[in-house]
Amino acid sequence: MKKQIVLKLWLSLLAASLLATGLLAACGGSETDSPDTDATVPAGGSTDAATTDEGPVVLRVGWAGSPDTLNPGTAVLTEAYTIFEMVYDSMYQLELDGTYSLELADSVDVSEDGLVYTFHIRDGVTFHDGEALTAEDVAFSYNLYASQEDFPFLPVYTEFFASVEADDSNNVIITLTDAIPNIQSQLIYLYVLPEHIWGALEGTAVPEFENEAMIGSGPFKMAEYAQNEFVRLEGVKDHYLQGPIIDEAVFQTFENQDALVQALRTGQVDMITEMPNTAVVSLRNEENIELVTGPPLSPSVTDIIFNQTAPENCPPGDGLCTGHPALQDRNVRLALAHATDKQQIIDVVLLGLGSPGLTLIPDSLGVFYNDSLNDYEYDVVLANQILDDAGYLDSDGDGIREMPDGSSPLNLRMNWPSDSTEAPRMAELLASMWAEVGVGTELQALDPDALTSICCPAFDFDVILWGWGSDPDPNFLLSVMLTDEIPTGNSESGYSNPTYDELYLQQAVELDQQQRIDLIWEMQRIVHEDVVYIIPFYSQSVQAYRTDRFTGWQTDSGKVALEDTSSLLVIEPVR
Amino acid sequence: MRQSRYLLKKIGWALLTVLIVILLNFFLFRILPGDPARAGIRDPRLTQDAVAAIRERFGLDKPVINCFESLNPVEFGSCGVNPLDTQLFIYVGNLLSGELGISYHTNRPVIDMLKEQLWNTVLLIGAGQILAIFLGMGLGVLAAWRARTTIDFSALLASLTFWSLPTFWLGIILLFWGSSQFGLPTGGKLTPAGNFANIWEEWADVGWHLLLPTLTYTIVFLGEYMLIMRSTLLDVLSEDYILTAKAKGLRTAQILKDHALQNAMLPMVTIIALNLGFTVAGAIQIETVFSWPGLGGAIFEAVERKDYPMLQGAFLLIAVSVIFANLVADLLYSYLDPRVQAG
Repeated sequence: MKKQIVLKLWLSLLAASLLATGLLAACGGSETDSPDTDATVPAGGSTDAATTDEGPVVLRVGWAGSPDTLNPGTAVLTEAYTIFEMVYDSMYQLELDGTYSLELADSVDVSEDGLVYTFHIRDGVTFHDGEALTAEDVAFSYNLYASQEDFPFLPVYTEFFASVEADDSNNVIITLTDAIPNIQSQLIYLYVLPEHIWGALEGTAVPEFENEAMIGSGPFKMAEYAQNEFVRLEGVKDHYLQGPIIDEAVFQTFENQDALVQALRTGQVDMITEMPNTAVVSLRNEENIELVTGPPLSPSVTDIIFNQTAPENCPPGDGLCTGHPALQDRNVRLALAHATDKQQIIDVVLLGLGSPGLTLIPDSLGVFYNDSLNDYEYDVVLANQILDDAGYLDSDGDGIREMPDGSSPLNLRMNWPSDSTEAPRMAELLASMWAEVGVGTELQALDPDALTSICCPAFDFDVILWGWGSDPDPNFLLSVMLTDEIPTGNSESGYSNPTYDELYLQQAVELDQQQRIDLIWEMQRIVHEDVVYIIPFYSQSVQAYRTDRFTGWQTDSGKVALEDTSSLLVIEPVR
Repeated sequence: MRQSRYLLKKIGWALLTVLIVILLNFFLFRILPGDPARAGIRDPRLTQDAVAAIRERFGLDKPVINCFESLNPVEFGSCGVNPLDTQLFIYVGNLLSGELGISYHTNRPVIDMLKEQLWNTVLLIGAGQILAIFLGMGLGVLAAWRARTTIDFSALLASLTFWSLPTFWLGIILLFWGSSQFGLPTGGKLTPAGNFANIWEEWADVGWHLLLPTLTYTIVFLGEYMLIMRSTLLDVLSEDYILTAKAKGLRTAQILKDHALQNAMLPMVTIIALNLGFTVAGAIQIETVFSWPGLGGAIFEAVERKDYPMLQGAFLLIAVSVIFANLVADLLYSYLDPRVQAG
């Protein structure tokens, strides 16, 4: 008898919960049938919001990521920085064409020795909570970034600061330790935080501050945040520089890129910041959808790295330096460059959405990119000729060349990070291309941490397929090829050239922009001449928006970043 | 007396298992290669000083346990350090005071993150499980009752097919179909900036978002319940006492309800309890396809980031719920079938 009751109870519980679920679903279903309730129809909801005068004008952006944190000090992911750019202001704004414009300051004076910068902060700037933003807040923020050791990134931009002070007339005075040419690029990511909020935090409370209210002074303010779900921002219409036309911007996270594309197709989002290259062809033919491709806002570069560490440069202690000796010979690297068909890699790996690479400084760095260099053309005959002439012959007839002294065959270990979607196909293509010139390869993907441990400063590899992200200023990418960086682990090729090292020091203190560019171009020429890397391609940013929702997207300003404030401030609903 | 001894024994074993899981969790992730302070960040802007400061803040500069500075790569250290100042004891100590730590990835308390995600996962998987159990059992009873007829064969074929469908594939197909045919959402739990008039509208929106992932889950898991229900019921139906019941002239529905189903429920209780325990773990594939902000996706992300506190917290939560569900099944079983206890 008892048993039966339990069973019945169990079954009726099941039925009850089922009913509840069914009701819930039915509710959702029935609500959407009625045209008046736009809340439950995402697509209809946003159309109404975008076109009627009643509801707020909401821009819906779909992206595949989510900010890791709203605390600018500890954030690592790009998505977090996209939100910071909208909610916070900094001293300079980076424009899409690569130039800088003053943001929080209306004027700047530089001392003759280039060491003292005096920024006059605009009057009447307020934080989103109504408090005034003054030079005190700027100085507080810069000093916070400089002193907080456990902030992973931002302190680096303060490394040349000797002191930062605010004076009585709303000026911020930055005194530098060295006169540097790129102060603007140092200041763009140093977001100005309200002292009246952040000043109260101490010790570990600073990095652990969740910053959910996210009080800033930018053209958008934080309205609602659900981690890994969405970020909702409200436009600050009376912003001191320029307020947005739209009322709200929502960034919704799609963990699956196919769903992201589908969301754009069905009108659930108005713009997507990324998509798989495989989706491009089908979206091109879609009505009401415009596809945009071009260099990305955050420059990045993919490189084929040769371990060319000379024995005398092998880092003591950490270095294993097991690289194939042939890679220290420029002839071998040159032959491999001639044997590499970059266009085929672009066509196969990127489905055509990329441009052939040239130097480690990508084309998206604008004026710093040396486009005057002639790349090594794809020529298998020439590549074979170079290796023959240099004495690398296939003496045992197995299809793989040996060293000139007949010792070890040219079998190269090739590794790449296992989280890369592009590298596996690229590795297979390279293996077949290099086999044409008698160079064998052993392919293996490695966990990024394992790859780091064989890479540098251990130099326990032959070839690695990897990449770099870059600041808008090329200084740090250029530093990767310095002799001094071999033991630090930043140099992944082990390249060493005293002339290059000298030019690096010169450009780092050259205040004249054109002369600095000349130096940087010369450095790229040297590295290209020495075939330190093969740069297979510069990948492009691929984004898309619906043409029936908003108009005014900035698509022809050099770089593609529809999520940048350059677009978000000027777009307006289609009437 | 005997019953309470049985109860105590079961609870004792469950507690011991939890303890072992806690220790295992701690060592499991520390055997992985790589430094969590710089996991996923290959950026020269991350200076040695910053890494050292981050390690200090998360207590990673302390030895893992006496004699071991780190487990991968293995670095031996002093065995004479104060055991209370090692990562293991700090972790266990924090656990005892209800602290799960701060996530390395988001710098938020793990407990806050788990709370948000657990609720989302239970909502999704709970709804799917209930539907799958109910429909699967119903279909199983129907198939067993109409054994070796077209109904039985079709139900069997459908269940086997559903069971063998790859979850992510079915999910993405349903996503494309549902979103283009019915305007169902392609992802998320809620329409952001939905301007809901009241809580009911908001709930309706959540339900609307739940439809496709729940449907996927139900279809994939329905087969399992159907097959087990069908085969156990067939077993029971071939027993002599069923024949007796038939001979007494009872109606089929009565035989099923009062005589057969009850005995056939025993294996179902086990499998339901086990599956409910795993509910907490979520369904990584479904959560990823439908961008559902649940535990499965969070665990996936935490593995990539070597987010030890998050992983430890999530795995502990999963282990505890599986162990708890097992315990409940054990107790329920002994209640439903006294032979279990006697044995």
